[in-house]
Order: sequence, then C-alpha cells, then structure tokens
Amino acid sequence: MKKQVKYKKKLAHSQKYTLLSFEKKRSLEGFVFAIPWLLGFIAFVVIPLALSVRISFFQTVLTDLYGFRGTSTYVGFNNYVKVIQDPAVGETVFRSFGMSLIKVPVIVAFSLFVAVLLKQDFPGRTAFRVIFFIPVILAGTIMTYLFQDGVGNMSVFSTLTTGVQQLNSFFGTIMSNIGAIMWASSVEILIFLAALQSVPATLYEVVELDGASAWETFWHVTLPYISPFVILNFVYAMVDSFVASDNPVMSIMDSMTREGTKYGQASALSWLYMLATLAVILIFILFTRRWLK
Amino acid sequence: MADTKSVVAGDSTVVFEDVSGEYETTSAAAAETAKKSGGIKGFIKRYENLGYRAKKKITFIISRIFVYFVLIEMAYLFVLPFIYIFSTSLMTSQDYMDPTVQYIPTTINWDNFKKAFEALDYVKSFINSMGTSLLSAIFQTTSCALIGYAIGRYKFKGRNLIFLFVILVLLIPPQVMILASYGIWATLSLVNTWAPVVIPTIFGLGLRGALFVLIYMYFFQRIPDVMDDAARIDGAGPLRVFGQIMLPLVKSAVAIVFIFSFVWHWNDNYEAPMYMYLDGHQTLQPRLQNIQMYYSKYATSQAVMSELEKSLSEPMLFAGCLMVMLPVLIVYVFGQKQLAAGIERIGVIE
Repeated sequence: MKKQVKYKKKLAHSQKYTLLSFEKKRSLEGFVFAIPWLLGFIAFVVIPLALSVRISFFQTVLTDLYGFRGTSTYVGFNNYVKVIQDPAVGETVFRSFGMSLIKVPVIVAFSLFVAVLLKQDFPGRTAFRVIFFIPVILAGTIMTYLFQDGVGNMSVFSTLTTGVQQLNSFFGTIMSNIGAIMWASSVEILIFLAALQSVPATLYEVVELDGASAWETFWHVTLPYISPFVILNFVYAMVDSFVASDNPVMSIMDSMTREGTKYGQASALSWLYMLATLAVILIFILFTRRWLK
Repeated sequence: MADTKSVVAGDSTVVFEDVSGEYETTSAAAAETAKKSGGIKGFIKRYENLGYRAKKKITFIISRIFVYFVLIEMAYLFVLPFIYIFSTSLMTSQDYMDPTVQYIPTTINWDNFKKAFEALDYVKSFINSMGTSLLSAIFQTTSCALIGYAIGRYKFKGRNLIFLFVILVLLIPPQVMILASYGIWATLSLVNTWAPVVIPTIFGLGLRGALFVLIYMYFFQRIPDVMDDAARIDGAGPLRVFGQIMLPLVKSAVAIVFIFSFVWHWNDNYEAPMYMYLDGHQTLQPRLQNIQMYYSKYATSQAVMSELEKSLSEPMLFAGCLMVMLPVLIVYVFGQKQLAAGIERIGVIE
C-alpha cells in the first residue's frame, strides 16, 4: 500500500518535468505570441525613455546627445529647474490644460450623441457612417490650411448660435470651435458605436415593455452599460488633446529641439509634461473607477 | 362618433362599444377645452391626451426630423472642405482674391496642378509616402494582431503587466521619446531612410500601434472559446488556429486597422518629417509647406512671406492638397464597404 503511494507520487513528479500541463502549455503559447511586441517595447519604448531621462540631466550638444563621450556636461536637475522657473512655459502648460479641460467633455458628449444617432436604424445610415470618417482622412497639414481659410468651421450650427456667442464668452468659445471639436472626435465616435452595439437588444425590449421613454432608456440602460467606454473615451480624448501637434506645449518643445543647445531642457519639459498628463489621467481614473466596473 | 364593432356569436348579436373610441371622444373634448386655453400649454395638453400609438408616431416623426437635421448639418461640415479644396484648386489667383467668386471659378485653371506637382517633387515624395505608409500598414495589421491575440485570448503570467504596458504606450506622448529615438537612428545612420518609421511597426509599435493592439484585443475577446477548442481537438497547432481560424473571424478588425494605419501614416506630420527631412527623402505632408515658398521670390521661410503672396499661392496650395489626399481618398472609397461593415460589426456579440 505504502509503496503504491510512493510510486504514484513519483509518477506525478516525473510528469511535471517531462510534459507540460495543458494550462502551462497554453500560457507558454500566449507568451510566445507576445514576445515580438515585448522586444519592440524594450527597443523602441524602454530604451528611448531611459535615454531621454539621461538627456534631461545633461547640457548636451548634438555630437554627444546622451553624454557618453564627455563633451556634454552633467548639470543635475538644472534643466528641470530652468523649465519650471520659465514663466512662459508654465503659462502655456496651464493654458493648454485649461483648453483640454473645456474641450474634452464637449468632445466626449458630442461623440456619444452622434454615436447614439448613428446607432438608430434609418434610411441612409451607412452613408452617414461613412461621412463621419472623413475627419480621419482629412487630417494633418491640410486641415490646418482649411482652418486658416475658415472653411473647417463653417457649420449651420455656429451661424445659428452667433447671438449666443456674443452673450456668453465661455459658451461662445465652445460654439465657435464646434467645427474643430467635431473634427477631433471621429475615433471617439467609433469607440462609442462599438460600445452601443454591445448592449444586448433584449435589455431594450424589456424596458420598452415596461413603458420607459427613450430618454429614460438612455439614462438607465444605455449609459450605465457603456460607462467604461465613456471613461475610455475621456482618457483617449485627453491624450489626444495633450499630444496634438497644435497644442502650444508641443510647439515649445519643437522650438527648443530646433535651437540645438536646449535638448536637455526639451527632454526635461517633455518629462515634466508627461508626468503631469499622466497624473491628470490617473486622478481622473481614480475618481471615475466605480464606473469602470 | 363612437365606433362600434359587432361580433356574431351563435345566433345572438352582441354589440361591444369600442373602449378606445370612447377614450378618443373624451380626449377630443379635452382638446377642445385645451384649444380654448390656447398656447403651448394647450398644445402639450392635447399631446398628453393622445393615445399610445399616436404619441409614439409623433415622437418618432419628431426624432427623425431631429436626427436628419443634426446629421445633415454635420455632413455639411465635413463635406464642405472637400468642395472647397476642389474648387479652389481650379481657380486662378485672381479668382481666389475676388470676393464675388465663390466656389465656382470663372475659368478653369489646370496650371495649378502642374505647378504643385513640381513644388511637391511629387514622384519622389509619393514613393516615400506610399512606401512608408503601405509597409507600416501591412506590418501593423499583422504584428498588432499577434500581440492583441496574445493578451485577448490567453491567460498567462505577466499578461496583465503586458496589458498595462500597452496602455502606457498609448499614454506616452511621442514627443518624450522622439529626441532619444532620433539619436539612436542617427547613430545607426538610418536617418533619411524609411527604417525609423517602418521598423517599429514590425514589432507592433509605431504610430498609434497601441490603439490597434487594443482594437484587436477587443475583437479577439469576443470570439467564443468553443471555436479554438474545436480546432485544437481536430489537431491544429497554435499558429494554425491563429492564422486559419481566428484571423478570418476578425476580418472587420483587419480592415479597420489596415485602413486607419495606412491613412494615419499617410497623414503623419510629426514623426516621418522628423526622421526624413532631406530633399528627396521627404514624404508628401511636409512638402506641402514648400508650395507657398516655392512661388515666392523673396521668401526664405514661411514667416517672411507677405500676406498677399500667401493668398496668391493659395490655389496652388489646394491643388497640392488634393494631390496629397488622392491616394487616401482612393483607399477610403474602395475600403469604405469593409470599413462600414467593420463598424457595423464591432461590439456585436456573435
């Protein structure tokens, strides 16, 4: 009897080392699928990030960007101090955060609104869905030129609300920028469409039988169901507006890079800015995590 | 007024008075009183007294009108720039400056395209743009699918960590890394080649790579487990399951990622111009800025140009814009069906 138990134990033991269990094999496969991305992550994200930290501690010249050859001088936190003390930089950063604060909720609300409209079944829906991806094609420099000529902003809506624009400056800025906001929200619309399509149709049938109005259905069924996607879209819109090329902070960074002697400061600024944006996003997620399920 | 229905049951005729008919008469009376009180209040009261069907119909019609108004308004906003670009590109400078000429040029001026072609250095820039965009799109559609598949369908140690990394990559602005990356590519003497743009995409990174990974992950998660279990029992290996079972099931994701990746790379105005800046190595987007300078005799940079000169060269600029947009438009028009189908299908639980 005793002997048998021992034998069993031994068998189990040997199996463990010769043959991987089903779960282990599976998880190994998953890891293998992830290897290329991990390699790329190290090469194109971790290493550049580490190097950019190093740059931010040096007064660098182009011939010795990372300070390995000794021509660049180590300056400690001086670059950070300089960036923080520069009043122009501080003002721009705060202004850009303020702009994002106004823009992001409007973008999210607008894209949710459009997604809900596009979700409905009506003749010509496919055509409209296609039109809503035009902003994806018409991006980049072309859009800048169009806005310079005042074409990107020509909407019936903004002409209708000219009176409101003069009455209230806060509401007015939103109204006069409604074109720009619409142009910025195509990916958000896509995410919301996906989310809306994942709400089971049976839920809607049930509440309709219970006599809920469309308004009640939206607030008590649709919105709670897609709340994680609302958060996701908030985060995406924030990131998008923080790193948009028309963001004033980005242009400061670019001009610092072009000057040639301020690489250290540009890196320091980019790190400070990134940490600030990450902090804003983390705080946002912290406050909204109960809707993330 | 009350409408009656007669039902023949056996030999006795039973007459029912229609309940809804009675309801209608009372509502008509209420409407009558409401009419007297007049105004919006009366209108609302009349609406409240309507039956369920009628109410539903009215709200339906109102919502339809509303939906179409909003959608047409937005479609107008998005389509107008196209018309503007197209019409401006055909104008002469005089037409462009003339405030009485709007959208319809007096004479069609094809010369703009010829000039823009020269200024853009179109053939070379086109090859650069097409090469980087197409290669990147192809690589991203495959490599992002791999990692999306790994974190979407497998549970392994470190999966959550990798997912966190993906989110982190999504959140890190490219500006933080661009200097250091530029330095790396410069030491490898690969600046002014396609490599800095294309190579990261082989590994599933690159322009908005993290977003594509998340899209794939989302799609793969929706496929029921039974699918790959069945394939496994039939003896398919992991690569076969991925390539022959899973990828065909997420066709719409493949279409979305490919189209978006191509278009975004084509429109990229930050990374590609940073790495490829020499004449003849540039992509189309940054070349656009050259058009205006190209036709100004005195300007050495855009800032020096006078407003008048800028305005005079505007038709050429938009001709250039049209030429830059063309391939993307073609991709969009041909991929539009797949794109629309993809959008219809995301999120649908199958």
